[in-house]
Amino acid sequence: MADQSTLARPVASADHWNRVPPQQRFPVIRRFLQNRLAVAGFIIIVLFYAAAFLEPVITTYPYDELLPGMRNTPPSSEHWMGTDRSGRDVYSRLVKGGQVSLAAGFAAVLIVMTIGTTLGALAGFFGGIVDAVIMRFTDILLSIPLILLLITAASLFRPSLQTTIIVIGVSSWPGAARLIRGQFIQLKGQEFVTAARSIGASPLQIMLRHIFPNALAIIIVEATLWLSYAILLEASLSYLGLGVQIPTPSWGNMLQDGQRELLYGAWWLTLFPGLAIFLTVLAFNLMGDGLRDAFDPRHRGR
Amino acid sequence: MTAYVIRRFLFLIPLLLGLSIVMFTLIRLAPGDPAIAMMGPTAAANPDYLEQTRRNLGLDKPLPVQYLIWLGNLVTGDFGTAFTFNNKPVLDLIGERFWGTVQLQGISLFLGILIAFPVGIVSATRQYSAIDNGVTVGSFIGLAIPNFWLALLLQVWIGVQLGWLPVISTGQANAPWDERWKYFIMPVIVLTLPNIAYFARFMRSSMLEVIRQDYMTTARSKGLSSRAVLYRHGLRNALIPMITVIGLQLPRILGGAVIIEQIFAWPGLGLLAFDAIGRRDYPVILALTMLTGAAVMIVNVLTDVVYALVDPRVSVADGSAS
Repeated sequence: MADQSTLARPVASADHWNRVPPQQRFPVIRRFLQNRLAVAGFIIIVLFYAAAFLEPVITTYPYDELLPGMRNTPPSSEHWMGTDRSGRDVYSRLVKGGQVSLAAGFAAVLIVMTIGTTLGALAGFFGGIVDAVIMRFTDILLSIPLILLLITAASLFRPSLQTTIIVIGVSSWPGAARLIRGQFIQLKGQEFVTAARSIGASPLQIMLRHIFPNALAIIIVEATLWLSYAILLEASLSYLGLGVQIPTPSWGNMLQDGQRELLYGAWWLTLFPGLAIFLTVLAFNLMGDGLRDAFDPRHRGR
Repeated sequence: MTAYVIRRFLFLIPLLLGLSIVMFTLIRLAPGDPAIAMMGPTAAANPDYLEQTRRNLGLDKPLPVQYLIWLGNLVTGDFGTAFTFNNKPVLDLIGERFWGTVQLQGISLFLGILIAFPVGIVSATRQYSAIDNGVTVGSFIGLAIPNFWLALLLQVWIGVQLGWLPVISTGQANAPWDERWKYFIMPVIVLTLPNIAYFARFMRSSMLEVIRQDYMTTARSKGLSSRAVLYRHGLRNALIPMITVIGLQLPRILGGAVIIEQIFAWPGLGLLAFDAIGRRDYPVILALTMLTGAAVMIVNVLTDVVYALVDPRVSVADGSAS
């Protein structure tokens, strides 16, 4: 739960701001930076996203180039992470796959948070029948294990990068909707909402201008944590062959493609993509947890 | 209390109806013809035969009518017969696989709780110590390792290179127990690890919450030793929220079965679901999702009921915790 005393505080005047000692400004950022694990997570994420953006610059081979006579060669100075069974450079594929996996995760979370925030806000703000209908639908979707729902949906429609993103986005919002609904219910009872209502603000204005900014902290934390789940879900689907399809690399389908070669000792095909998934998921979790503690110091250490 | 329980269970009926509509619509909106899925592409090449099969399956009727027929059968306990799997009745298929999943998940859940609870308690009582920091980092790592990757590495390392354990589980169900336990070890490790990570984190925060309460200070001020306070007064109260935590993990636990059973070829419901989805065996997919959804909903109600029984502060009037 967000700390209302700090979040719902009226905007400070410039005069007030100048009287705050510099080391006490930006308390959220300061608290975040004090959390070493969270900062480590943040650095890993920045590095991975930088690598994804700089993909054309930092890769050493085209990701889909089949190098003749280079099947399953172990890591060397020429191929830092070896080559796969079709003679493609694993390092270049890992960077390209990272681009695909990170972008897919980002796009899926965008859908999750858009649907989750909209429905959660409507349910929480209006209550009554709107709330009942949205929340019962949420209960229904939450009763089926997410991965079972994803596998069903992904295999019924033709598997591809777009299908994966849409399927994850459209099936995963109920958890977020529930959380944001709770936040809206709590905030709509606050005095500043009553004040806004008394001067004639419309429901839409109250939701967007008054409640939403105060719920933003929780939405950011939830989105960060969802990025880790979404990347893990994309990897799981692609590993099962129901997500991103070869030759487009993703960390999940690189694992699937490399697992048979593991029997012949080609460990580099599974080690590196697996580590990449693990580090990304870990980093987003650490960062999300650190953000939650930074936004709400009472939550710290729990 | 009885009225509350009855009301909660009656409320499951509209939810289950909703679930049936969602799943039926999802499966029938998807491209692909169930008749072709049942006959196979060769037999479906004959248009007369295809038409005949469609009529036999009732696929020529409008979709809402098909839904009502299916629902009517479902209510009387008739889940139909599988399109594939030698056209066995769906319930027989599920019955064959049920214990495989229950054994595997039961052991992993029990071991997870057995290890996580003491770890979480020790971690909380020594907050910010080296042990506590280790547990925190360890649970982050445990939750971030992709379970299919861990399963793969264990298969190759322990199964193939060291040769200590069987890599996949085909045929294990018929093996005698002195052989059979070997098949359990790797899947149980993979499934237990995230359970430990989840439960230890929640146990720690639940215990920390309790330690800060006034009644703990009161108990100490009566002159009880801090050990007695912690375990007699603290532990009991810290365990109550864990009922909900474990209950809410059921969908994750059942979902984990789908991927891990597929990797280890474990003869359980997860593998059945995976195979049925791959073969587009609609009756099996629908039955499995309906039964899973019902199980999750029932466990949610039971969790709330047990919570209300254990914690007298919970009012059953509105079913929410104070």
